[in-house]
Formats: sequence, structure tokens, C-alpha cells
Amino acid sequence: MEALIGSQGLTKMTRNELAVAVLVVLPLVGGALAWLAPWRWLRSAVVWLTAGLSAAAGVYAVTLLPFSVTLGSWHEVVAVVCELMLVGLVAYFAWDERGWLIVGLCAVQVGVLIFEWLEGAGQIPVIKDAVFCLDGLAGALVVIINVIGGLILVYATGYMKVHSCHGGGRGAREGRFFLVLTGFLGLMNGLVLANHLGWLSVFWEGTTLCSFLLIRHEGTPEARGNARRALLINVFGGVVMSLAGVVAQRGGAESLEGVLGSRLTVVFVLLCIAALAKSAQFPLQSWLLGAMVAPTPVSALLHSATMVKAGAYLVLRLAPAFEGSAVMDVIALIGGFSFAVAAALAVSQSNAKRVLAYSTISNLGLIVACAGIGTPLAYAAALMIVCFHAASKGLLFLCVGAIEQEIGSRDIEDMGSLLHTMPLTAGVTIAGMLTMLVPPFGMLMSKLMAIEAAIEAPLVVLLVIAGSALTVFFWAKWIGRVQTVSYHARYRLERMPRSMMGVLVVLCAMVLGGGLGSLAIYRQVIEPMALGAFPHAAEKAVAALRAAGQLHSWPILVFPLLAVIAWLVTVWRFNPGYVRLPYLAGENRDETELSYKFTSVKDEPVVAWATSLYFRRTLNEERITPWANLLAWLLVLSLLGVLGGR
Amino acid sequence: MGTVMALFFVVVVAPLVGLVLNGADRVVTARLQGRVGPPLLQPLYDLVKLWRKEPLVVNRVQIGYVYLHLAFMVMTLVLLALGGDMVLALFAHAFSALSLVIGASSVRSPFSRIGAQRKIMQMLAYEPVFILLVVGIYLRTGSFMASAVGRLDAPLIVSLPLVFLAYLVALEIKLEKSPFDVATSHHAHQELVKGVTLEYAGPYLALIEVAHFYETFLLLGIVAAFFVRQIWLGVGVALVVYAGAIVVDNVCARLRTTWMVRCLWTVPVMLAVCNIIWLYVRRTQGG
Amino acid sequence: MAWSVHELLGRSPWFVHYNCNSCNGCDIELLACLTPLYDVERFGMLHVGNPKHADILVVTGSVNHRNARVLQNVYAQLPTPHVVVGLGVCTSSGGVFAGSYNVLGGVDKVIPVDVFVPGCPPRPEAMMDGFLRAVEILKRKSAGLPSAPAEKEVITVAPPSGPHAEESDAA
Repeated sequence: MEALIGSQGLTKMTRNELAVAVLVVLPLVGGALAWLAPWRWLRSAVVWLTAGLSAAAGVYAVTLLPFSVTLGSWHEVVAVVCELMLVGLVAYFAWDERGWLIVGLCAVQVGVLIFEWLEGAGQIPVIKDAVFCLDGLAGALVVIINVIGGLILVYATGYMKVHSCHGGGRGAREGRFFLVLTGFLGLMNGLVLANHLGWLSVFWEGTTLCSFLLIRHEGTPEARGNARRALLINVFGGVVMSLAGVVAQRGGAESLEGVLGSRLTVVFVLLCIAALAKSAQFPLQSWLLGAMVAPTPVSALLHSATMVKAGAYLVLRLAPAFEGSAVMDVIALIGGFSFAVAAALAVSQSNAKRVLAYSTISNLGLIVACAGIGTPLAYAAALMIVCFHAASKGLLFLCVGAIEQEIGSRDIEDMGSLLHTMPLTAGVTIAGMLTMLVPPFGMLMSKLMAIEAAIEAPLVVLLVIAGSALTVFFWAKWIGRVQTVSYHARYRLERMPRSMMGVLVVLCAMVLGGGLGSLAIYRQVIEPMALGAFPHAAEKAVAALRAAGQLHSWPILVFPLLAVIAWLVTVWRFNPGYVRLPYLAGENRDETELSYKFTSVKDEPVVAWATSLYFRRTLNEERITPWANLLAWLLVLSLLGVLGGR
Repeated sequence: MGTVMALFFVVVVAPLVGLVLNGADRVVTARLQGRVGPPLLQPLYDLVKLWRKEPLVVNRVQIGYVYLHLAFMVMTLVLLALGGDMVLALFAHAFSALSLVIGASSVRSPFSRIGAQRKIMQMLAYEPVFILLVVGIYLRTGSFMASAVGRLDAPLIVSLPLVFLAYLVALEIKLEKSPFDVATSHHAHQELVKGVTLEYAGPYLALIEVAHFYETFLLLGIVAAFFVRQIWLGVGVALVVYAGAIVVDNVCARLRTTWMVRCLWTVPVMLAVCNIIWLYVRRTQGG
Repeated sequence: MAWSVHELLGRSPWFVHYNCNSCNGCDIELLACLTPLYDVERFGMLHVGNPKHADILVVTGSVNHRNARVLQNVYAQLPTPHVVVGLGVCTSSGGVFAGSYNVLGGVDKVIPVDVFVPGCPPRPEAMMDGFLRAVEILKRKSAGLPSAPAEKEVITVAPPSGPHAEESDAA
């Protein structure tokens, strides 16, 4: 790419424009080619190539950082036309699905857009800003989207091959599936690069449409219903965002930078509500739980690299300008509330994908809470969670997908003995869960920072602490179940498409390496970014930020490492003669089944089964969710109330 | 030099202190029951014996978690001795217990698994108190560093009396004493055999015992830290508290797990919360 | 034996108790050993609930066909070094049940036994004596010395004289 640019003698400016164009268009073109590809091998090859190229482009773009791209005024026309086309498409699909409410929302959105257009023609003075820009935050997301998203694409080629063998999808649909899946990355890139509110709105709508199509992929009544719900909630977010555009235009701003500069609180609140819908925060969380009907790579993509991260990104992008305002306190509460309640509901779930979904909602809640706290330390913690959560959660979804294809169940209680039947996947799963949980990995360090940052807000700190404790609970249960295993002298690697296995191994290595180096990453990357976002931070806040980087890092690395080494040595020198059956009061039967068996009084083998604790009566999902939603709606309303009271 | 001394103290001396304390526990318990009881150094003999026994296991996975249990426990002490971050130490301490939980639930033994679940219930019961303790110390010192406690002019007990009371109840859980010895107990043969430690034999059990010695020292050390500056007073109070814990152990029956959580979350946690609210209020008024 | 690791090993013999269809007489007397009057914890003995933590397997009762398998299973879960103590006459010969159709007649038909403590039931003093002999064998096993096989040695303890004499006679 460098050579190409050099030979054509492009200026630095056009190089930036090219980078943006490649990041946005390349995945879309790749997706279209994959759609057209007549054979599966060709489609896979195209997807692989696209994934590789966009990952390379993402990393390359970050080396150019920071830059911004300005365009002539023609781009606004293009943006509005794109947006209208997308809204039209959404309305078409909604019509197709008999989602009249969605059609209505689309009509409202068209009205808002036309109103904005007419008003814009009426000479409101608007500060012209860059249309696209790439700063540290956007750069981090670009890397996450393209690298982790690319890996998920590669995994998906292998996954869909097996999936279609199981009769999951039909061949004709698979092409469209890859079109949408690959194109998603391009739209997501556009979303984080966009500075102009019009373009932001275009890409926002685009990701909504993509997620709808992906959730609907299976075509079952359940999938269609859940897809409709996802569309409804996200179109609602889109309408709110368009409204934000109108208000911003009246305030004389047309870009995120402008909103930040002129501190338009109303726009901020509207954009935050849009972000809550996208990030599946309470009360708008239900679409993400429904989204798991889609094939697993879709879930992985929605939960880790794309979609839900868009909302968190938007809040993070805007938060520093509104530091210390009452609005931010409410945002922090909303985030903390989602964090704690989603973690509590995750405890009550035994469906692995639902646990992961609630965990995603919970972690995004923590990001929002940190953004709301609005100190450099909290901001740094949020950035850490964005990065480490994307990698670990993507990995875990991919693992669950592989497990589900092998054992035909996504229930955690069915995952005993996995370590024997599929040692690689189980090992990677355990590693992934440990990185979500255990020091010295990044997720834990960021939770630590979140608690320390939240300490000045008593209610938020309470929620964060409660959430962290519950988080530990559901991961521990799951780890215990996955690694329940009898003694086996040797383990044989499971059979799986090579692309899936390769992605699991690569992503696992990335997660482990990044997690171990979390303190270094914090010092080198996150801390400067947080300082950059808060140029006028108080001295005390900066000191807290620096202190978090100066943790005594050697004990948290040395002691777990010693334990792991001791374990490896013990395993290396293991004497099979030391293996005994578990104690069952002497009544053991053979140890080869998934569960343990003992001899009953009738001299017959009886299977005993001890499930994990789920507190299904106390933490009843059906009972809690309405109340949680009600509370969350009240919080959102109080957000508007704070706005009115100013 | 001071750091080296502190490290030596917590890594080498602490378990010995814990060992003697556990020996004393058994002697005092025996005397309370009208028995002669074992020698004071009985835990040492147990340790040596366990070390010489055959290391029976069910699978290879569970072994790793014994090492992690001990490693995280020592790490907690080291972090505190270095004056490090208390939230990190809190996490390390929680993961020490959690390692046992995960290790115990990775074997196919109903007793072990039930013990693991009860251990989680225990953690749910006592962790809030520990967290509130750290929050309280922060509100008092304005820093998450453990070293800040040593620089206080007045001992912590003056500003955290209710948290101290709550901590005493949590201590009873962490020391596996009745009425809260639900996860692993020498006394509950019938209901859960030995709970979380059931499937660990010989040297692995010895390591768990060693971790328990460290933990005894840690928990009583925190009691003493409430009286920092008057350190001998603190040590005296810690010993009295330990003796009290042993007496309670001998006069109480075992509670059910749900009762335990309820018992902790009503009075002790609420006491601690009141204390914290008071500190917040005082802070906003004073600052 | 000199003061050594093996000596220390003998200071903490933990025992697990398995009832092979005993009439519960021996079991009650065994529990009496834990009471203040006898207090075997003086010798560092603990009553543990499972074989994996135990050094001494204490068996009571004449073994029958159904629980022989269980006894073997429990024995297999004892970590070495370990010793087996049979309490009561049933464990050595089947006692009053000897020759019954369902009884194997003796623990040594199923697993190797190191010490037999006869009696129906044996007195706690006799049991404690048996335990201390077992501990000596445990030390020898730990040191790798050959341990003498059980010769079904007869241990009798004279009725105690003193204030408890009438009580125990009455019982």
C-alpha cells in the first residue's frame, strides 16, 4: 500500500482519505463479491482475503493517527440520500415482517430528515468540521473491529460449512449472510470514523439493518420475531439520533466535535439515549438477548467487535466534554444499574449464550458507568474494558459455537467432560473465562480501576461492587462445570474445521498475551489517551490515573505464574498410580459417564446429578426484568428531567 | 531493607504464627469440651504427616487450583505488606477462595461440589463486609494504598467501629467456625464429608492447611490494623477476638447456608453500611 | 526409633471409620474414645469422614457379601502409608455371626488387616491400645520397614477398679 501511494505521489491528505475509503468500502466490496461467488471455496477465499486486508488496513490506519478528512459540501447530499435509502430499506423489511410500528418510526425519521434538510437550507450558521476523523479512541476501535472482526469472519467460513451440514442454513442464504457479515465491518468502521452527524447517522442505520438481517438469517418464527424486536429498538435509537441531528443543527453544530465544543447538553442526552439502545442497556436490553438465535459468529460479532460497542463508543466520545454535570451522574447510575442487574440475571441463567449476553450487557453498563463518572481514571478503565472485553467475549462466543456444534447443546450443565471430548475448545474456553475474571488479566484490572474511580459516587460504587461480585459468581460456576473431568491418560484433539481451530488458537493467544500485558498496555496506550481526553483534568484526578499504572505489578504476575509453573511440573511428573475415584461413600460405579454413578440399595447404578446454584427463585428473570425495566425507564426519564431542570 | 524485612515477615513468619494460633485453637477447643487435647504444635505434625502421604487426586486439573489458592493467599499478604493497593489485595483474597471453589467443582464428587457451592454462598455473605471495610478505609485515609493506614493519626477503630463489628462476624465465616462452617468442616462428616477439600489428599491438603495458616494471620492482622499505632493493643485485641471466635465455635450449631447469608446481610452489613454513610456525610460536610 | 520424620508421622494418625454391618456396639464404644474420658486427640488422632484424608481405616462388623465391595473401594482410596484396624470379634472371625449364610466372617477375607482388637465390644482402653499399636506399624510402613502381619493377637483389658467400676458392670 505504501508503494502504491508513493508511486502515485499522493499527498498526505489523500492518503488519509484513501485509508478511510478503504476501511469503509473494502469490506462492503468483499461482502458483495462473497455474495456473488458461486462456490463455497471461492466465497471462503474472498472472505478470508477481505478479513486479512481489512485487518491490515485497520492497523495501517492507526499508524497514520491522528488525522481528519474534510470533504466538499457535496458529501451532505450523499449522506442524506444514503440515509433515506437505508430508511427506505428498513421500512421495506419492516413492511415485509408486518412491523407496523417500525414502519411508523421510519416515517417519523424521514420526516425529521426532511425537516432538518429544509431547515439547513434556511441559512442557520453551522461550523464546518472534518467529516471523518481518526483519533486514539477511534483508532482503538478500528483495530478491534478489523482484527477481531476479521478473525470472526474467518471462523464463520468454517462454522457455516458445518452449520449447513446440520441443515441450519440453505446455500442460497449463505451468500447473503456473508455479504451482510462482511459489510458490517465496513459500516462499523464508518461509524467510528464519522465525525459528521449525518454520516454517523447513516452508518448507525446501516449497522441496525445489518444486525436485523443477521438475526433473521435462520428464518424461523423465533428468529423473525427477535429480529423484528431488534429492528424496533434500534430504529427507535436511530430516530432519537436524527432528532439529535436537528437540535445540533439549531445549536450551530453538525459534527461530534462541534457538539463537544459548544457543549450542547440536549444533543448529548439524545445521543446517549440512542447509544443505550445500541449498547443494549436496561431498559432497551431485550433485543440483544433475542439476537442469540442467529448463528454463533453473528453473536460473536454483535457482542464483541461491532454493534454494541458502537453505543459505548459514542458515550465515551462525548463524555469528557460534559464532565461533572448532573446529566453525567444519571448516566453513571444507568450504567451501574445495568452492570449490577445484568450480572445478577446472568447468575440465574444456565444457557451459555444467555449468560454471555447478560455479561455483555453488564460490561457495557460498566463502560457507560465509567464514562458517566467522568474522571481520567474512569475513562481509562472504560477504554480497558472496551479492548479486553471485545477480545475475550468474542473468543468465548466462538468457543460456545464450537461446543454447540459438537455436543448439540448450549446449556452449561451439559458441558461437563468437555475437557476430554474436545480438549482444545474446552481449554480455550477456560482460558477465555479466566481472562474475564482473574488477576493479572486486563478485565479484572479495569474493574479495579472502575471501583477506585467510582468511589466518590456512593451509589455507583455500590452498584459496581455488587456487579463485580456477581460476575465472579457466574464465571466460577461455568469454569467449574467445563473442567469437570475424570482422569484420562491422554487427550485427543477434536475434529473441527481448520479455520475455526486456527481462529480459536490465535484469538486465545492474543487474549492471554494482551491480558498479561495489561499494565504495560495501560501505561503505554490507555493512560496517554485518557490524559488526552481530559486536557483540563484536576491534579488529583491525574494523580489517581498515574497511581493506577503504578500498581505493584510484580506480585500479581509472579505468584500466579509460580502456581502455574508448579502445576505444570506436577502434571509433567504425574504418576497415574495416584489417581483414585472420587469419594462416594464407597459405592462408586464406573467413571466413564458424564455424571457420576453410584450403586443403589437395589444394586442398580443410579445417576446422581448436582447442578450448580442458579437461585432461580430469587433471581427469577421473568419477574425481575419488568421491574428492572421500569426502574431503568425512570432513570432515563430523570435524564430528561435533569435536562429540563437546568 | 524495610521491604525485605516485611516480605520475610509475611512469607516466612506469618504461616508460623498462623500454625501456632491454629494449634492453640485446638487446645482451647479441647479444654472447653473438658478434654486434654493435642499438643500445641499438632498442626505442624499434621502438616509433616500430610506431606509424607501419597498425593491422591481424581484428575490433573484440580491440582492447579491448590497452587493458585496458596499463591493468591500469599499474594494478598505480600501486597498488603508492601503497602499496595487494597482493592487489588481484596481481589487476590477473593480469588484465593475462588480457586478452591473452582478446584472443588472440577471433580465429579457430589460432596465436593456441594462444598464448593456453599463456599460461594459464604463468599456472597462475607465479601460485602470486606469491600465496605476497604471503602471505609479509603474514606478515612483518602487513598487505596494500604501504607496510608500506617500514617493515620487516630486508629481506624475510632472512625470504623460498626465496620469492625461486622468484620468480626465475617471473620467467623472466613475461619470456618460454627455457626458458619458450612463449606468444609471437621465436624460435619455426615452432611458433606469434608466439602471443598474432600478430593485433595496428602501434600495438596497440606498446602491448603498452609494457606489457612496464612489466612489466619491475615485476618487477625486486619483486626490488629484497626488499632494501628498502638500495635500491641491491636495484637491483644486480635488474640481476644480469636479466643472469642473459638468460644462461639464451641457453643453454636451450624446454620443453613441461606440463613448464613440472611444473617450476614441483615445486621452486620447494614451496620457497616451505616458506618460508611456516616463517613460520607462527614466527608461532604468537612470537605 | 529415633526422632525422625516417621516419628512425627505417628503423631497425627487420622482415622476413618467404616461399619461393615456391625451391631453398632463397637461403633458406640469407638465414639466413646473421642469423649473427654478417653480423648484420643491427645495423640493427635482425628476422626475424619473420608478415606482420602485418613491414615487408619477402622472397620467394625463381620463383612457380608454386599458390603465387601464397598470396603474394598474405601480401602483403595486410602493414601499410603496406611493401616487397617479391625474392632471387635466380628472383624476377626465373624463373631456370633460366623458361619451365617450371608457373612464372609472377618475383614481379612477382603482387605489386609494390621491390628485386630477383639471384644464384644472391646473397651475403649483396648481400642486405644490397638490404635497405638497401629501407629507403631504406621511408622514402620512409613520408614519402609517390613510390618509384621496381624497375628490376631489377643488383647484383654482388666475391668477398671475405681468409681466407674460399678457403672460399667451395671452397663
